[in-house]
Amino acid sequence: MFRNNEYGNHPDMPAGALRGVKVLDMSGLAGQYCGKMFADLGADVILIEPLRGSKVRSEGPFLDERVHPEYSLPFIYFNAGKRSVCIDLDHADGQEVFLDLVAKADVLIESEKPGVMASRALGYEELSKRKPDLIMTSITPFGQSGPYAQYECSDLVALAMGGFLSLGGYPDSQPIAAYGNQAYLAASQFAAVASMIALLSAADECRGTHIDVSIQECVVMAMENAIQFYDLEGTVRKRDAGVQRLAGMGVFKCVDGEVYLMAGGISSSRFWENTVNWLVESGIDAANVLRDSKWQNQDFLATVEAKATFAEIFGPFARSRTKDTLYHEGQSRRIPICPINTTKDVLENRQLNHRGFFVELLHQESGKSLTVPGAPYQLAKTPWRIARPSPKTGQHTSEILAELGYDSAAQRALIKTGAIA
Amino acid sequence: MKKLPLTGIRVADFTWIGAGSFTTKLLADFGAEVIKIESIERLDPLRGSRPYKDGIPGINRSGYFSDRNSSKQSIRLNLKHSKGQALARRLIETSDVVANNFTPGIMEKFGLGYDDVIKFKSNIIYLSMSMQGSKGPDHDYLGFGFTIGALTGLQALSGLPDREPAGTGTNFPDHIPNPCHAAFATLAALKYRRETGCGQYIDVAQTEPTIALLGPAMLDYSANGNVIHRQGNRDSSATPHGVYPCDGDDRWIAISVMDNDAWSALVDVLGRPDSLAKNVYRTAKGRQQHWEDIDKAIGAQSRQRSAEELMQALQHRGVAAGAVRDAQDVMRSDEQLSYRKHWVPLQHPEMGEAIYNAPPFRLSNGSATIETPRVPAPLLGQHTDEVCRNIFELTDDEIAQLTAEGVLK
Repeated sequence: MFRNNEYGNHPDMPAGALRGVKVLDMSGLAGQYCGKMFADLGADVILIEPLRGSKVRSEGPFLDERVHPEYSLPFIYFNAGKRSVCIDLDHADGQEVFLDLVAKADVLIESEKPGVMASRALGYEELSKRKPDLIMTSITPFGQSGPYAQYECSDLVALAMGGFLSLGGYPDSQPIAAYGNQAYLAASQFAAVASMIALLSAADECRGTHIDVSIQECVVMAMENAIQFYDLEGTVRKRDAGVQRLAGMGVFKCVDGEVYLMAGGISSSRFWENTVNWLVESGIDAANVLRDSKWQNQDFLATVEAKATFAEIFGPFARSRTKDTLYHEGQSRRIPICPINTTKDVLENRQLNHRGFFVELLHQESGKSLTVPGAPYQLAKTPWRIARPSPKTGQHTSEILAELGYDSAAQRALIKTGAIA
Repeated sequence: MKKLPLTGIRVADFTWIGAGSFTTKLLADFGAEVIKIESIERLDPLRGSRPYKDGIPGINRSGYFSDRNSSKQSIRLNLKHSKGQALARRLIETSDVVANNFTPGIMEKFGLGYDDVIKFKSNIIYLSMSMQGSKGPDHDYLGFGFTIGALTGLQALSGLPDREPAGTGTNFPDHIPNPCHAAFATLAALKYRRETGCGQYIDVAQTEPTIALLGPAMLDYSANGNVIHRQGNRDSSATPHGVYPCDGDDRWIAISVMDNDAWSALVDVLGRPDSLAKNVYRTAKGRQQHWEDIDKAIGAQSRQRSAEELMQALQHRGVAAGAVRDAQDVMRSDEQLSYRKHWVPLQHPEMGEAIYNAPPFRLSNGSATIETPRVPAPLLGQHTDEVCRNIFELTDDEIAQLTAEGVLK
């Protein structure tokens, strides 16, 4: 396999599937993962930052806990593989440079508030005049227009308004959010899919597309079957952490943490039978009561009595074993059981390491090599790779302006007027 | 924009349950011809999962199944029968993409593994989405969204610090990380094939997209040695940042205060009670030190207000605030989702009118916007005859013969 700790074009490494695609990424937290998805498949992604650098550079946690624009771990991770140019988009000369970039771009990813790009005369209408087949992907909290279009938002607020937050947390607690900006990341992921759909269609018909991604709407997609439960059965699903969802389905404590078990509740599966056999063959005779046919009935599994009975039998069994033992023993018996891993466990996971999932990323400022998640998909002929380290603020301004035809005198003039940095 | 953008792309769809079905739905809703291979002998478990229309069980009545399978066709094909496998090969010959989310080895058992397929369809794009990838010590382990959430670290990171890990309360990786990544990779491979003529094998391990999203947390451990522990709704860059009770039964509001202006607006909107109008709270540092007192004081005020009214009052003053919507709220009372026509009613042959999610983005050419989905989920085997005639070019007699032999069940 190819390793990603050497940048540039490894002589034996084939090009990425998206080589030749030119992407401009001027987004913030809600869009930078979208740009990363393009960069890691070989697109040339230019990160457009304000003169003082992307706001994401102030997001923690920080490398070595050093609060510094070049040490933000979210910035480093989400922008590896991109080149950085600093442009003031509110400056007339900066806007000219931007238009020159747009003229050569296939995709523009932006996350300004609705109306901001148009107020700079850089809205879709104007940009598509400059580049008729441009794909402009706009990511905003609630969409480009509508009653909430100008509402303030955060990841937590988007999770709330998109309904997903109502499913998280314990019955006796406030709703609790999924960790790690999942609303913003959902928007990035759907934006990437939408942009690729448009890119495939643009190649066909040579036409541009404006993509309007609503973060709230992306969050709604995480509601599983809750919408249909309300639509078809009239019931509103509630949060249920801390209790078994059904008997045999939920979190169980063990020696060194917890495991998640899904023995019950999957229709037409043998998981229940396999679990009962596991218990009985491990010397838990009491588990034989679980062989009664009533344990095949989901309505029974949902009762307090069923959950309590199962917990009395499986609880002590789990508490005397480690999560690793439960995981491998259970899986060898075809039971969906998994350890509840910490980040440390994930980094040490044998399957991920066998696949070479984690890769090394150079941090330019400190010279350190950082271990980061690697390919989320393995494309056999066009391997995923991080082609270059995360850029320093404006690291490629001069290189990129030269590509646009600005000579060094012109660049100096633009720096002097404050259009670029 | 009448013609959908992925028109002309055919997918032989062997996926089932959550992540796989949603991947191919993303393609189907935008015009790909997705033909789902099903069998009464090996029913998609989602067809047997609640909720059902009117609460009445039936293989064509599950809302969970329908929403994940809009815009697709369904054929009955018994893959345990050699003639069923032969027809599957014929379908693949005419397809651009093969998709499956079985554990490794199942497609091979049917003679439909990647190595089998490239022998008769050399430029196929072959998407495999097993739980942990096609090779490695745990490659044949099985799981669902909940267990994947546990394995990837997401569950341990979500919840209250002193309670058991809460996770997301859903099979989250099935709904967003895995389908979005798999669809993106497939579309990228399609673009590459259009330019080079080359197909390829795509291996998605359903743990890896979610871990990729947790990059900064993974880095905090790999680079700083810091194992992040769950901390409820707190955020290191904003205080207050939480979910507060409101008037009514299980009603809540999420509030994020990003700066001092937002803080002073929040205090105003909550009526400037002494518990909040303290000088020490006027700086981010002061608020961070006293976050617990502040959360209690906000809760004491917010519980007297309706979530909707308080959200509007705060938004009017520029504070990021949102009522915690439940399933009924997002469907019935959210003005923005209704403005965006997120909820699409489609007439299903057995369920009657049922609600589908529109994709959470709109594609337009500046004037016209694509509206989708347009076609509801298929009945089990609804398109068997049609596909037999049009793609397999079988006569009515041949179809009857195959039916009698149990190939099309």
